[in-house]
Amino acid sequence: MDVDPQLQLPFHCVRFVEQQQGGAAQDLLIASAGRKLYSYAADSGRRLAVWPQDANNAETVKDNEAQQDEKDQEPPGKKRKTDTSAPAGGKKPKSLPDWSHIPILTISSSGKYVVALTAEDKCIRVFQIAEDGSLKELSERGMPKRPCALAVTGDDSTILCADKFGDVYSLPLIPSETPYVAPKESRPAKPIQPAASNLTVHSKRNLASLEQQMMLYKQGKWGNPEEKSSLGFEHRLLLGHVSLLTDLAFVSFPDSKRSYILTADRDEHVRVSRGPPQAHVIENYCLGHTSFITKLCIPAWAPQFLVTGGGDNYLLVWKWSEGRVLQKVPLVADDSEIVVRDIWAAALQTSPTETSKVILVAIDGSPRLLCFLQEADGSLKEQGSIAVSGNVIDVTPIEKSGTIVIAVDDVHNAGSIQEWRSTSTNQSVLLESFRVKPDGQGLAWDPVTEPLVATINSEGTSPAPTDAESKRRKDFSEALYGLKNLRKMRMGEDD
Amino acid sequence: MSTHPQKRSKRNDYREKAAAAAAASQQSADSSAADIKLPRKKFYRQRAHANPFSDHQLDYPLSPAHMDWASRYPAYADPNPEKINLGGFRQMLKDVEVVDIGCGFGGLLVALAPLLPETLMVGMEIRVQVLDYVNTRINALRAQQLRLRSATPNNTATSNQGTPAPPSSTATPTPTPASAPAESNDNEVDDDDDDDETALPTTALPGGYQNISAIRSNTMKFLPNFFGKHQLSKIFICFPDPHFKARKHKQRIVSESLNAEYAYVLRPGGLLYTITDVEEYHHWVLRHFKEGDAPEGEEGAAGVVGDVRDLFERVSEEELAQDECVRVMSMETEESKKVTRNKGNKYVAVFRRKADPEWVV
Repeated sequence: MDVDPQLQLPFHCVRFVEQQQGGAAQDLLIASAGRKLYSYAADSGRRLAVWPQDANNAETVKDNEAQQDEKDQEPPGKKRKTDTSAPAGGKKPKSLPDWSHIPILTISSSGKYVVALTAEDKCIRVFQIAEDGSLKELSERGMPKRPCALAVTGDDSTILCADKFGDVYSLPLIPSETPYVAPKESRPAKPIQPAASNLTVHSKRNLASLEQQMMLYKQGKWGNPEEKSSLGFEHRLLLGHVSLLTDLAFVSFPDSKRSYILTADRDEHVRVSRGPPQAHVIENYCLGHTSFITKLCIPAWAPQFLVTGGGDNYLLVWKWSEGRVLQKVPLVADDSEIVVRDIWAAALQTSPTETSKVILVAIDGSPRLLCFLQEADGSLKEQGSIAVSGNVIDVTPIEKSGTIVIAVDDVHNAGSIQEWRSTSTNQSVLLESFRVKPDGQGLAWDPVTEPLVATINSEGTSPAPTDAESKRRKDFSEALYGLKNLRKMRMGEDD
Repeated sequence: MSTHPQKRSKRNDYREKAAAAAAASQQSADSSAADIKLPRKKFYRQRAHANPFSDHQLDYPLSPAHMDWASRYPAYADPNPEKINLGGFRQMLKDVEVVDIGCGFGGLLVALAPLLPETLMVGMEIRVQVLDYVNTRINALRAQQLRLRSATPNNTATSNQGTPAPPSSTATPTPTPASAPAESNDNEVDDDDDDDETALPTTALPGGYQNISAIRSNTMKFLPNFFGKHQLSKIFICFPDPHFKARKHKQRIVSESLNAEYAYVLRPGGLLYTITDVEEYHHWVLRHFKEGDAPEGEEGAAGVVGDVRDLFERVSEEELAQDECVRVMSMETEESKKVTRNKGNKYVAVFRRKADPEWVV
C-alpha cells in the first residue's frame, strides 16, 4: 500500500455500525471523506468498499485531478482564470460526481442502512449494508433545498429531513416499488391569473405593473407553471420554521407509544412537535440560547433530557418536555466566541456490569474533545478533556468496548479552521482512538492503537487539494467549518 | 434608509418637536386636553414590505417569561415592585391575550381598546417607522384620556379598576373638544390616503387606552418568544401583505407551518381573524386551513400529514355577524377604510382553535 506523502482528506463523518445478528456479519466503520463513502471492517480496519466504487471512475477522477494540477502549475497570474474556465470546457464534469463532500451520514437503527447526504446536489442517498460490508445504493432523492439534518425513525420506515428553508419533510426509507404519482396533479385547468386587481393595488407604479401583467395575461404569456416543479418521489411536509434549521431529533417512548420531533433553528429556537402524523401539533419550545443552535443531543439512556449547543459559549441541559433548563454548562473560561460543532452521548462499557454515561463536545476548530459525565438528574459534570493531534471533526463511540474513535483534521493546523498545514512530515493521522478507564469517580482515557485505526491511517483516503489549488482548499475549509456562518451579522442601520 | 433627504429632515424635525411637546405636556399636567396632538402619519411612512427572512435588528425576549410588558402597560404592572419575572422586569396583573399581527398604523388596536377595556392587546409590526407612529399615537391617546379623567373626576364611564389614578392634579381645566386639525394641513399632501384621524375622543373611554401597545417584531420568526402556550384568546391578521408573486408566497403570513404556531399560542376556543381585499389570498387562507373549496392551488401537492383541521375550525357566518370584532376589523382599520374608499372587496375568514387532538399512537 503506497502511502501518499501528501495531505489526506480527513473523514467528515465516521459511524460505527454494530451488526446485531452475530454469525458471519462483522461490525463496520462507515465513513465519508471528500466525495467518497468508505466501509471498513471494525476489527481490522480492512477497507471493504468504496462508493462510488468502480475503479475506472476513480482513475478518471485521478486523471482529472492530475490535469488540474498541471494547469495549476501555469504562471501564477493566470491561475484563477484557468481554474474557473476548466469546468466549462471539455467533458470533464460528466465523469466527475457532482458533489465534493458528504456532510451527513446516518445509520438506521437496525444497522442495515446508511443514509448519506451528498452536498452540492442535495441528494439523500440510501445504501444497504451487505453482510460483507459492501454498500449498495438503493435510492437517490434530490431535495428542493439543502438538507441540514437527517434522522431515521426508530422503526426504520421513514427518513426525516430538515432543510435550510426551515421545512421538515418525511420520506420513506425505502421508496415503494410503484412509481410515485404526485397527488392532485390533475387540478382544474383554470389558468393562473394575476391575483392583484385594480381594487387591490393603488400606487402609480403598482398599477403600471398590474397593467403589464394583465396585458401578458391576455396574450396568454402570464403565469409560470414551471415554478412548482414537484418532487418525483413520495414526500410529506411535516412542519416548518421561518428560519434555517440546524438539527433535528426524533424520540419515541415505547411505553406511551408517543413520539416527538425536536427541531433547532438559527434563531435560537428548539421546537418540540408531536411525531408523525401529528407533527403540526407543537407541544412546546425550549428557549434559552442567545445565539444559533447547532446540535440537539438526546441520550438514549435518558431520553427525557436534551443537551443543546451552538454559537453560545455554553451548553444547556433541558427537561425538554417542559421546556425547562436544568443546567447551563460553561464551555470556556473567558467570554470568547466559539461554535459547538457537535455533541455526542455514549454509554461506554467500562466493565461487564458498568457503563459510563459520557457526553462529548467538540468545538469547531479545536483539537480538544470536551468530556462530561451525565448524572441521574441530567446534570453534566465536567471531566478532563481529550487532546488529539488535529481539530476534532467527528466522533463515533464503540460502546461495548468502552472506546471512542475520533476523526481528526489532518489538513488544517490544530486550532485553526483556515490555515493549512505546510507539509505533512509524518503519516497522516485521520483517526485516533481512546478507551475509557474507570478512575475513582472521574473519567480518564487511554489512547489505544487498534488495528482499525492503524490500518486506516496508513492507508489514507485520497489526496487533499495541494498547495497550488488555493480555491479548492478554501472551498474545502468552508465545507468543513461552515457553522460559523450561522452567526448573525448585526451591522448597519435597520429600517 | 432610502428616504429623500429633505423629507427625512422634515420628518426628524417633526418628530423632535412631537417628542418635546409630549415631554412638556407630561410635566405640566394642568394643560388642557386639547393641546395633545395625534401624530401625523405622513411623517412615519415606510414602504409596505419588509423581508421577514432577513436578520433585522430586532429586540425580542429570550422567552415569554423574560419580556418587559410592564413598561408598555404601566397600569397593569403588579403594584409590588419586588415581583419580577425571569428578565428582571415587573410582573403583570394580567397577560396580553390579543395580538394584531402586522398592526400597521394601529387602527384596529385603537378601535378595539374601548370595546375590550379589560383585555391587554398588543400590535406587532416589523416596520420601525410605522411602529413609532403607533406608539406615539397610543401615548397621545393615553395622555389625553388621563386629562379628561382628571377634568371630570366623577366620570362614570371609566369603570376600570386596572387604570391608575390620573396624575394628582388639582387644576380642573375645562375639556375642550379637540376637533380642530392637529396641525394646519399644509399643501404638501403627498399621499392620497393620508387619513389621519383629526379628532381625539372627547370623552373618557373605558380602559383609557392603557390596555393597548405595540412592539416591533417579526412574528414569523419570534411569536413563541413573546407568548406562551395557549396564552392568547384572539389573533388578528388584517390585510396582510399579499405577496402577489408566486415566488414570494413563502413570505405570506398565513401558511400551514405558521398555522401550527398560531395554534400553539392560541388557547382552545380562541379565534384567529383574517381579512383581506385580495380574493386569491382569501382562497389561500382557506386552503391553508384546509377549508372550503377543494385544493386548487399549487400548494395542494405537498400536503401535511394529519391536518390543520385537527386544530382549527372555521367560524360560521351567523356567528361572525354577532361578533363586534369582525365589524371593527372590517370598518375601523386604516387599510379597511382605504379599501372602502377604493370600493374594493373584503374577504373575512375566522377560525376557532379546537382543543388539542388526541394523541395518535
